[in-house]
Amino acid sequence: MAKALDFEGLGEQIMKIAERQKAEETEAYLVSNKVLTVRLVNNSVFEAKGVHDIGVGIRVLREGGLGFSSTADFTSKSLKKAVKAALDASKTRKLPFKYSFPSPAKPPKVRGVYDTKLAKLPSDKAVDLAYQMVEESLAYNRKIADNAGVFNLVVYHTLVMNTHGLKAKDDGTFFEASLTATAKRGARSSEGAEATAGRSLKELKPKEIGRKAAEMAVSGLKAQPLKEGTYPIILDPEPSAGINGYISFLCSPMIAKLYYPLFLDKLRKKVGSEELTVVDDPLMPKGIGSAPIDEEGIPSQKIAIMEKGVLKNFVYDTFYGALEKKPPTASGARVAFAVGVSSFPGKNYNGEPIPIPRNPYIVPGDWKREEIIGDTKNGLLVKRFHYTRLTNPTRGDFTSVLRMGLYSVKKGEVAGALKKSRLIDNLLGILKNVDAVSDTLTVAGAWGGYAHTPIIRTKAHVAPV
Amino acid sequence: MQEDLALLAIDYATKLGAEYVDARLEAHYNELVTAANGKVERAVINQKRGIGIRTLVKGAWGFQSITNLTKAGIKEATNIAFKVAKASSRHVAKPVKLAPAKACRDSYATEVKVDLENIAFEDKLKQFLKWEKRLHTSKNVVRGLIEYTGIKIAKLFVNSEGANIKFVNTLTWATLKADAKKGALTQSYEQTVGHAGGYEIFDKQDTGKVAVETGRKAASLLKAKAAKMEKDATVVLEPNYVALLVHEIVGHPSEADRVLGREAAWAGTTWWGGKIGEKIGSKYCTVYDDPTVPKTFGFYRYDDEGVKAKRKVLIEKGVLKGHMQSRETAAEFGVKPNAGMRAITFEYIPLIRMSNTFFADGDWRYEEMLEETKQGYLVISMKHPSIDDQRYNWTISAQEGYEIKNGELASHLRDVQLTSTAPKFFKSIDAASKKGEIHPLPGCGKGDPMQALYVGNGGPYLRGVATILGAK
Repeated sequence: MAKALDFEGLGEQIMKIAERQKAEETEAYLVSNKVLTVRLVNNSVFEAKGVHDIGVGIRVLREGGLGFSSTADFTSKSLKKAVKAALDASKTRKLPFKYSFPSPAKPPKVRGVYDTKLAKLPSDKAVDLAYQMVEESLAYNRKIADNAGVFNLVVYHTLVMNTHGLKAKDDGTFFEASLTATAKRGARSSEGAEATAGRSLKELKPKEIGRKAAEMAVSGLKAQPLKEGTYPIILDPEPSAGINGYISFLCSPMIAKLYYPLFLDKLRKKVGSEELTVVDDPLMPKGIGSAPIDEEGIPSQKIAIMEKGVLKNFVYDTFYGALEKKPPTASGARVAFAVGVSSFPGKNYNGEPIPIPRNPYIVPGDWKREEIIGDTKNGLLVKRFHYTRLTNPTRGDFTSVLRMGLYSVKKGEVAGALKKSRLIDNLLGILKNVDAVSDTLTVAGAWGGYAHTPIIRTKAHVAPV
Repeated sequence: MQEDLALLAIDYATKLGAEYVDARLEAHYNELVTAANGKVERAVINQKRGIGIRTLVKGAWGFQSITNLTKAGIKEATNIAFKVAKASSRHVAKPVKLAPAKACRDSYATEVKVDLENIAFEDKLKQFLKWEKRLHTSKNVVRGLIEYTGIKIAKLFVNSEGANIKFVNTLTWATLKADAKKGALTQSYEQTVGHAGGYEIFDKQDTGKVAVETGRKAASLLKAKAAKMEKDATVVLEPNYVALLVHEIVGHPSEADRVLGREAAWAGTTWWGGKIGEKIGSKYCTVYDDPTVPKTFGFYRYDDEGVKAKRKVLIEKGVLKGHMQSRETAAEFGVKPNAGMRAITFEYIPLIRMSNTFFADGDWRYEEMLEETKQGYLVISMKHPSIDDQRYNWTISAQEGYEIKNGELASHLRDVQLTSTAPKFFKSIDAASKKGEIHPLPGCGKGDPMQALYVGNGGPYLRGVATILGAK
């Protein structure tokens, strides 16, 4: 795109404008977020679309009040207006506790979060790589009739500056790639999917994604109906990442307080089985959510969320930390919650920081995947969740459609595919019934949410659809 | 609006060789406030302006958006949109064709009595805190929450066929939520006040009163009985619950891109592909999608392809009649485009979206529907959905319910969750009340990257059959 903007200069300009408008403290979070999306449908490249979002989120403190505004317009007039809007917002948002933006601290080095090759990947090459998923799937088996998927390539640069002299940069790259294949034989049809994400071009294996999606689709053509019941269920990486996603979401004090209170009164209480330990580690090399700093500029750190099933910690940004008198855990993330506001993969300046784990995962156990399957007499292997919801966020009622990749496990072996079914249970029950965790982390997820995850076995009620 | 910049994108892309090009130049102003338990948790003002340029080159789509609104920026973005379309065209099995559409020229705006920017942000925050306080109707209400959003969008749509449409849209809404607790039992209730229009909605719908009602309802659920599992129960669904139901099991599967399998990798496909003209429901099963209803969340006169909006008949007296179309899908179906395309901002390529999707009114009075139900359940107000990928099997929880015994409301129920399949439920509808409602649904998700859009959904009271799931 056009000439790179001088983020430091803009940051200084915002500080000066805010000082003139009598802000006591100011923070500027400057973002350049470039996304290229290649969407694949009906065995073709359907569209290639790009966005280059550049903007700034401004927080100010004045007379005990905190305000926020954002703008993508860097003209002096617009920056003044944005600072004024933040100051206006601060007038009635008086904080009943002492609050200040973070002080500067030296961030650690985190390896493998920026890849020049990925950042500079030409758009036609990106289109070709995305299409390789389709080609490989079609080549796998003649029964593959259709493929749809996506390749998102993200390159971001951020700079956070504040009144205390904090000036911290975060540059990163990542990709998300997924494919859903449909196999057909006569009137029967079956789907299969594979999805992964990574921080470098080296990690992108489009052919492997295409083959795995096709394999799952073809295996489902012989699916048999499931018998309703409560089964031991082995959750492969994607559904396991889904469970991990709920755990991390629920240990945000903001989310727990305002929206999903399932863990709210459960700190230091047992919410899962002995097998379940969860950490947030944004220092992990090549970690999908890794970065040297959080989005307030605080050096990243590893946090224990759950230890042997006991909820150990909620995670904190500076605001919720001050509110609940806890030290921040470098867990400030900027998420645009508002409807009608863009929220692309990558970094976002439209939202204030909220506390949320940044690279959470279930800590691997000591089981091999084959051992977990071998140890299951009459159970289910689940490869994909679809439309997973906490239908009652206070009780933990939990449901997911097992749309594809559902298999029966009999006498320690994967016995065959099963037709689409629905899991209906309770999340706390599912966590408490975890009795095996595999020894390897894999990157898995779907539709904008990826994580490192092992395979887990638990128990749940499943009914045919 | 800098119309010359939008026209520059059209001219430049045409010169590069694009078969078709459109541009959406937009300025956005958004306010967001979250207040909980007497404190303002978040107070945000976002402003953004930019352009999204969509090109069709050798039958393939390319798109680029930017916020750098200079001539150089526009040219660079147009170049990228052209280049990625050209790169995509090498892997296109069936080149895109667009159904013809009249190139309209118009300028219109949502009716606004009180402009969002005419009330000081500070005054708004004070008012939200007041309403939040009113949620605390008893000591059992342990948490109150109000989330306010105000959106103002000025947009200009131009295309290479000569369309030129200006639209200023304003949406204002607040969701009020109360959590009540007694012992280990927690119950919640929430209601949304909103419309396409200005700040006047909060007086019009007496938001203070809605807050009190929300708090009382949450507290009352503490005394309600937990719903128990019952297969194939008679259910009378209240319009707010119908809103989420119609959204999930009629609205989404009516998107033609979904019918064509283009959402297969995301939300899924539909069970009724190829069934147009077939009977899938009872005579009370009529559903429209209608962007022309003023004041609703789905209001517009032209979609984001510049096609003039009109009411779409999706299901009529139980017969599947049609889908929501883009110009591209209309060409594939061999029908006229019906203005189904929208994008949340200039940064996104438009997709086929619902506008206001609702069940048509019936000929019953609500009271009659109850009186003629010997044994059943009244199911009130939407909570959370989980729907299968073909929009066939659905599970949707409700905020509250009542048993119906001999035509009268009996025990109050909490933890109500229904499940059924779409065709089974459509065929079971044996009564629809006279006066339907369209409710604001602020967060309909679709696309990759995800676009969370505001739509309207609703209908009248409906009576049908579904399974009540007991609490797990």
